[in-house]
Amino acid sequence: MNDRAELVEDAAAAYRALADLAETIEDEWQYVTDLTDAYLPAIEALAGIVAPLPAGAGDAVDEAIAEIGLITDPHRAIDWLSTYPHVVALALGGDVDGGSDR
Amino acid sequence: MRFQDAARDARAVVYAGIQADPLVARLAALLAAATPAERWMARAAMNGERTDAEIWRRMFPALFGEGPSAELRDHAERLLAASLDVANRGEQARSSYRGAVVEELTAQLLARRSGVVKRERRVLFDGVPAEIHPYDVTVESTTRPEVYDCKWGARGINADVLNQLDDARAHAADEEIEITVALVVFDARRSAEIRLDRSSAPRDGTRLVALENIDELGVTRP
Repeated sequence: MNDRAELVEDAAAAYRALADLAETIEDEWQYVTDLTDAYLPAIEALAGIVAPLPAGAGDAVDEAIAEIGLITDPHRAIDWLSTYPHVVALALGGDVDGGSDR
Repeated sequence: MRFQDAARDARAVVYAGIQADPLVARLAALLAAATPAERWMARAAMNGERTDAEIWRRMFPALFGEGPSAELRDHAERLLAASLDVANRGEQARSSYRGAVVEELTAQLLARRSGVVKRERRVLFDGVPAEIHPYDVTVESTTRPEVYDCKWGARGINADVLNQLDDARAHAADEEIEITVALVVFDARRSAEIRLDRSSAPRDGTRLVALENIDELGVTRP
């Protein structure tokens, strides 16, 4: 497994944990599920980018993973469900919205 | 149809104090001149658990690493400092600050093409009871008015907001006035569309402005 694939695998695992925390808000279960269904595959697809990793990508993804790992409030977790994929995508030089947002 | 200042209850007075904090206008001005990547950084930092700037610099190497110009790095540094200033306000206050920042950003962008941008205004229609909640930002053109509801995140989109915006559009149409009604969400368009897709409230006439295309507010009606 290459560096990019390992980073993406770690980032996706952290996202799943974030979603698990977020879905404890029962009223938002559907929204959390919909967001996760959209963004988890998008994060995983970042492993398929052929270009070299941008400088600092490893530290950036590690910090993003550490940041969401600190979250204990499920409401805060929901806030990060859309933010985190974009932070990871910026670090890895990709896109998680199916088009350019940079 | 006419616009009217909203009456202020105690909560609105407190919120008005936050809206008037120079930090809000400064942060909004920085966001108005920011790149999409900088806006994601600001959103993340204002949502963040940690307030050590060095952590956020490492998280966004495209902004703070070797690649960007000195000008971009300087702008990103000022935006990060202001964002962390909001993050340091504590959970309850930061939530209010984030909302106020999105409203101020919307107002500043709209002011690029219109001189009649106002805040916290009700819209009154003949024979229709006034809505309880004012609109966050309005462009009070006599020929083509605009009303905006602003949200920090897509999760803030709910049926009440969509119904109020659609009611304004429908009542204006009854008076043969073409009004632009829009939601401004400082979040990913995709997240907002996911939220909207599960709502049964009317939204066909409501425009969506998201983090990716928020600059367009300053150029043309959404």
